[in-house]
Amino acid sequence: MTGTLQQMLTCLWSARRIQRYLDADPAARLTPGEISRLEGHLATCEKCTRVAAEHRALHRALSLWSGGTGVDPRSVDRVRDFLAAIHDKDTA
Amino acid sequence: MGFSVVTHPRHSDDSAQGPAFRELVEPEIEVLLRVALTITNGAADAEDLVQETLLRAYRAIDRFDGRHPRAWLLTILRNTNANMHRRQRPGVIGDWELIRTARPAFGRPELPSAEDSFVHEELHADLDAAVRALDPRFRAALILVDVHDLSYSEAAAVMGVPVGTLMSRLSRARDRVRKALRSSPLTRGDLS
Ligand SMILES: [Zn+2]
Repeated sequence: MTGTLQQMLTCLWSARRIQRYLDADPAARLTPGEISRLEGHLATCEKCTRVAAEHRALHRALSLWSGGTGVDPRSVDRVRDFLAAIHDKDTA
Repeated sequence: MGFSVVTHPRHSDDSAQGPAFRELVEPEIEVLLRVALTITNGAADAEDLVQETLLRAYRAIDRFDGRHPRAWLLTILRNTNANMHRRQRPGVIGDWELIRTARPAFGRPELPSAEDSFVHEELHADLDAAVRALDPRFRAALILVDVHDLSYSEAAAVMGVPVGTLMSRLSRARDRVRKALRSSPLTRGDLS
């Protein structure tokens, strides 16, 4: 029983950190201690592993949403020309 | 970094203004276009929006502190878009309501196939529906971070909220979409 409660608490602890773990954003890094504890838990907990897999899959799906590479290089070129023109016009 | 932009805030007297502004902005053009593409109706509109954004940014450069140029530009992009639409169709559209999801690209050969009964071609409609069903504030967080790959700080700046708020909105958005897809008839068998 104590084991189950402990497991539940660790799952909650992990759930609160899984986003920061997967994103690894510089604004919200986990400590090395948190990372190893989380990875240790993921290695043994099927439920949290599945949640992590769902997160990864969702992120991958959404990252393809813009139609892959998306932006037409000619579009970038035109905007770059426009940028140059702003400067030229201003200093002319 | 030390942008000369910051030390030469006047437009009129300084020929270094242009190159400094260009150096600042040029690396961000692609990101601006990508974001613009999802909030407008097509490539031509997206280009117009980005050009208008750059014009406004140029005029506002003396109020820019030189930090986080991407976030600064994206904020202007968002406001510009809101203004342009207010002009065209008064009162109809609120800014991030405008997020128009580009056609998903499932079934593309580069989509990795492992772990992904979850991300299946047939899920396309469910994912679309789940994202659309989100509160616009949550949806914005999801789209900026997961679709456009902005950092927490950049996305937070675009939305005008603290990083902590962005993170909690992102987390709620992801959880909702994840759970919506999990209970979808298409995937229930695979995931439970
Ligand atoms: Zn767990």
